[in-house]
This record gives sequence, C-alpha cells and structure tokens, in this order.
Amino acid sequence: MLAALAAEVGDFVRPPIDWHAAAPELTLLAFGVLLTLMDIVWLERGRKWAPALASIGLLATMVPIITLAVDGADRSMFGGAFVVDKYALIMKAVFILAGYIVVLISSNYISEGDYWENEYYGLLLSSILGMILMASARDLITIFIALELLSIPAYMLATWRKRDLKSNEAGLKYYLMGVFASAILLYGMSLLYGASGTTLLVDLNESISASDSPSAIVVMGIIFVIVGFAFKVSAVPFHTWAPDTYEGAPTPVTAFLSVASKAAGFVALMNMLFVGFIGRDDVYEPMIFALAAVSMTVGNLIALRQTNIVRMLAYSGVAQAGYMLAPLAVASDVPDSALAATVSYLVIYAVMNLGAFAVVIAVARKTRSAEIDDYRGLFHYAPGLTVAMTIFLFALAGIPPLGGWWAKFRIMGAVIEANTVSGVVLGVFVAVNSVIALYYYARIGAKMWADEAPDGDLTPVRVPASLKSALVLTVAATIVFGVLPGLVGDVTKVSLLAGVGG
Amino acid sequence: MSEEIVFIISAVIVLVGALGVVLSRNPVHSALFLIQTLMGVALLFLIEDAHFLAAVQVVVYAGAIVILFLFVIMLLGVDKAEELGIDPIGGQRELALVVGASIAALTIVTVGWSVDGATGSAPASAENALDNGLTDIERIGRVLFTDYAFGFEITAALLTIAVIGAVVLTRSIRREDVLADLEPASLELPSLAPAGANDEDTPHDGDSGNSGAEVSSEGNRES
Repeated sequence: MLAALAAEVGDFVRPPIDWHAAAPELTLLAFGVLLTLMDIVWLERGRKWAPALASIGLLATMVPIITLAVDGADRSMFGGAFVVDKYALIMKAVFILAGYIVVLISSNYISEGDYWENEYYGLLLSSILGMILMASARDLITIFIALELLSIPAYMLATWRKRDLKSNEAGLKYYLMGVFASAILLYGMSLLYGASGTTLLVDLNESISASDSPSAIVVMGIIFVIVGFAFKVSAVPFHTWAPDTYEGAPTPVTAFLSVASKAAGFVALMNMLFVGFIGRDDVYEPMIFALAAVSMTVGNLIALRQTNIVRMLAYSGVAQAGYMLAPLAVASDVPDSALAATVSYLVIYAVMNLGAFAVVIAVARKTRSAEIDDYRGLFHYAPGLTVAMTIFLFALAGIPPLGGWWAKFRIMGAVIEANTVSGVVLGVFVAVNSVIALYYYARIGAKMWADEAPDGDLTPVRVPASLKSALVLTVAATIVFGVLPGLVGDVTKVSLLAGVGG
Repeated sequence: MSEEIVFIISAVIVLVGALGVVLSRNPVHSALFLIQTLMGVALLFLIEDAHFLAAVQVVVYAGAIVILFLFVIMLLGVDKAEELGIDPIGGQRELALVVGASIAALTIVTVGWSVDGATGSAPASAENALDNGLTDIERIGRVLFTDYAFGFEITAALLTIAVIGAVVLTRSIRREDVLADLEPASLELPSLAPAGANDEDTPHDGDSGNSGAEVSSEGNRES
C-alpha cells in the first residue's frame, strides 16, 4: 500500500532546507511548545517558571541570530520566499530584544494580577515568532501568514484582563479593525497575484514595473496592501483603534503593541515597498507621502490634549509612525539611506518607548493611575524614575544627545538627500512637528520636577528587580545610541535590494 | 457551447441566491440562500477545471462557515422579531448604498478599462505551470509541500495558537467565582429570563458582587 503510493509520487523531491537559516524561528517555536507542555504537565506549579523559561527562550533565539550574523552570508530558501540577510537579522534581533524587555516588565504585573500566566508567555512568544518570520518573508503568502501569526496572539493579549470592560473593548476593537485590515490586505494581494501570476516579491516587481503606466488592477492592489499595513502601524486615518486599545490593554501588552507590533508592520511595509513595489514609485510614493504628513500632524495635535499618559503615548506613537513613514516616501530616490533611516528609527524608538512604558508601569504600582496629573511631584518620592522618564520623553522629542535625536537626524538626512519637492516638504513637516511634540513631552517633565505631590504622600515607589533591570537596559541604550550614533549607524547600513537575489 | 449553458445556469443560481440572502425576512432563509450562492460558485470553479477549489468551496464555505452562521442565528434567538423599520445607527443604510454603488462602479471601471480583462494577459510562468500534465489537485499538493512548505507548517502553529488563545478567553476565571453576576449573557438571551428575574429579586447581592469585582479588576489593572 505505502510502496504503491511512494511509487506514484516517485519524482517528488524534498525542497532543500537550510536549517541554519531557519534556526531562530525553530528555536523560538520549540520554546513556545515547551512552555505549553510545561503548563499541561505541571499545571499551577509551572506558573512561577513561565517568565524565566520565556526569557531563556528569547535569549536562546539570539544565539542562531548571532551565528548567522557572524557567518555573514545571505541565505535564501524556497525560491526566495524566505531570505536571511543583514537587514532581516537586525530586525530579528530588535524583535527578540524588545520581546525580552516586554517579558521583564510583564513578570510582576502578570503574576500579581491573577492572569493566565503560561498562556500569556506562550502567546507572547508566538507573536514574536510571527515577527521574526516577517523579517525574512519575501513572498506574499509568507508575509500574510507572518502577519496573522503576530496579530492573532496580540488580539488575545489585548483582552487579557478578562473581567475589565475596557480591556474587552480594547481587544474587540483591535480584533475587528485588525481582521478588517487583513481582509483589505489580502484582497490587494490577490489583485497583485492576479496581475503578475507570482507571489514572490522580486518577480512581482519585475512584472508590475514592466510597463510605463500601471494597470488599474495594480494600482488598486498596491493601494489596498498599503492601507492594510497602515492599520498595523496605526497611521492616520487608520489609527482609530490605537488609543482605545492601548488604554484598555494591560500596560505591558500596550508596550509590546506600540513597539514590536508597530515595528513588524513597518518591516512588512518595507519588504513590500523596497522589494515588491520599488519599480512602481509613481503609485506608492504619493500615498506614503500623504500618510506620513497626516500621521505626524494629526497624531501630535491630538496628543497635546490628552490627560492620560497611555493615550498620550498612543497618539505620540501615531506621530512617530508618521516620522518613520517619511523616508519611505522617497524610497525610490535614495533607497539605501531611506531604508537605513527607517531601520535606525525603529531600533531607537523601540528602546525609548519601551522605557517610557516601563516607567508608566512602575509609577502605576503606587499611584494605580495613568493620569498625567498623578505624575505631579514624582521627583520628590521617586527621583530615579523621574530621571528615567525625563530621559525617555526628551529622547522621544528628539533632544540631543539622547537616542531620539540621532534617529530624527537620519530621517531628516534621508528626505533632504532625496532633493525632491516631496522630500523637502516632508522635512519641513518633521521639523514643525518635532516642535509641537516637545510641548507635550516637556509638560510632563515640568509636572514631575516642579509640582508638589497631589496628596503629600511621599512613600517611595517599590520597583521590583525585573522592572528595574528593564529600566537600566533601556536608559543605557537610549543614552548610548545618542552619544555613539555610529553604533546604530554602522549596524543599519543595510540594503534590501542587494540581499534579495531570489 | 455546453460551457456557456453551464455558466448561465450557475450564474442564475448564484444571483438568485445572492438576492435571496439580502431580501429574505427570516435570517435562517438568508443563510440557506447563501449556501445556494456558494454552491453556484463551486459550479463555476468546476467549469474552469479547478476541482480542488470547487471541493473546498463546498466543504469549507457551504459546510463549515454557513453552519457557523446558522449556529449563531439560532443562539441569538431565531424567533425574536426584528424591527426592520428602526435604524439603530443613523445613516448606515444610505452609507451602505453609497459604498455598494462605489464598489460596483470600481469593479466595472477596473474590468472595462484594462486591456485583456482585469488582470491583463497571463504571464508565461503561469502558462507553464498549467502545462505539465498533472491534475490541479496534484499540482496544489506539490506546490504546498515544496515552495510553500514553510508557510504551510507555520499555519499549523498559527491554528494551534488560536485554539489555545480561544480556550483561555472563553474559559471562566479560576480562583474567584464572581463570574456569575458579571456574565452579561442573561441580558442578551431572552430565553434565560428566569435568571434575569432572579437578579432583580436580589439586587443587593448583585450590586455588592459587581462593585467588589470592579475594585479587584481595578487592582489588576494597575498592579
């Protein structure tokens, strides 16, 4: 019976698999399975080991990433659908380290709050698995599966405070908007597949940029794909889910969504733009231009009026997405600097935003509130946290010598270097918006340093060890990236175009 | 010629089913008309020699998804009279009309404007793929386990994770048994009216339970 079947499929050849290239994904998947098994076998007794195992899993995943980076060769599998190059490795490292910091800031929050712990870390790991897969995906189907793999656990994590209506609202809004975006994205992808007959981004680019003017179907496909990812990176006018989801979700999950999930959306967008659509800049550049300009302006203006620090960070995240989109609007003129600028910004933004959320979590341990007014007089009872928060806020505003300054400098450099009208206009937008943003970041700083504590309660905030180490890591990285910009500058000198031969 | 006849028959099946979905007063009838539409689409796939797609269309859409629809309709109470004259969200009918007309216009423009149909002429790679003497089911199998093997395996992980998450979200809370008075189901299911009446009989219990739960969830949130 089996022999007859084998004879029938005799000419089937297993596709060659480069196990080293797939090692990061496989390691993380193995630890995710281990975590789930531990829950089944040990039940309650496994609870306290879950964060430790998740951290070990993330750090173990760094090992193959580092060996691949040392090896240095570009690897490609499945006809070019899965590519490991320098850009992919940098983004994988960013996702893993951001995930590690999220585990650090989660462990006390989750264990003290009576949540499902093992599943929390299992879902977190699988979401990160989707992200590191996304960094390597150069094929429509792989990109879509990676997107779903990172989104579906995130929908569930957003509603992890099951008995809280706001958390339910957060998860439901995120889920509905997310699947809506996925549907639009998938529709766009199917149009592009119909027009080109291939799912590989390299071949797609060749096919759709062959003619001088794009066919209607290609224009619609590109627009739908960009709209789909604009939801993911919460760019205006597709940002409406972000503030409510951020406010209602557990704060460590908010940190994860605002950093890792947004970065993954950008990675997918960059894969599509730089590999799949680069020859059709007449279609995507005006659209990215509009998204970038509107996102920074609207995000910053609404952030001015927020009274809740998490909502403020949500709108500031919308504006930051606008900054990161800006270089992509000149992607065809200066592809290398545009890519390097956005990747640098993603790296530095991840560090400073995670840090800001770590402080929010630490302060909320005492005040039980995320209102900006409750940060008054923070310096009098938590000077360390105040200094850390000030560093993160000024880094987000882009004040030298902190990391955010260098990130914004790269963005400005790229759009000015393009030397086109749209590039210069975007440069002006970035400059004006940085000034607006400084106002609301500095306002919190002033409240923390100058005002008196609202109720005169000066008992210090007790910060647990894991949260403290997350704060130390993020503060150090924010300062180092600003003082030694060459560090991130060298690392992000990447080219997508060179790496994807297919 | 015979292809045209089959096409016309299946097109009639699809369109009548689609109209039936929209125009039926009874949601169960709508769901059954949806099955008719999906079966018609499966026929269309068959005349294009896409046997696998036709089978999947019947199994997944007509089988699983419509059954899920019916399940939800039954769960929400099929005999509940719906007042169609009231528009719960103002202007949504007008909006639906505008959006529907725009999508129709967009489709007509896209199909009409392009040369060689909506997608242009098929690229050479697509022609080659069709020309190696295998049935479409064999070809899908081969592609699935060679070019798309990685995505296929990752999908397996994705489905497992979705199941784990769904179980966590729907399972009731472990240590406290305060869930009963928070469950909003009794408000939505008229068939559970006795439970709702019970709540009204003992307002104090309900109140204290609620406020206690709110305090503890507030604690969860910020701790």
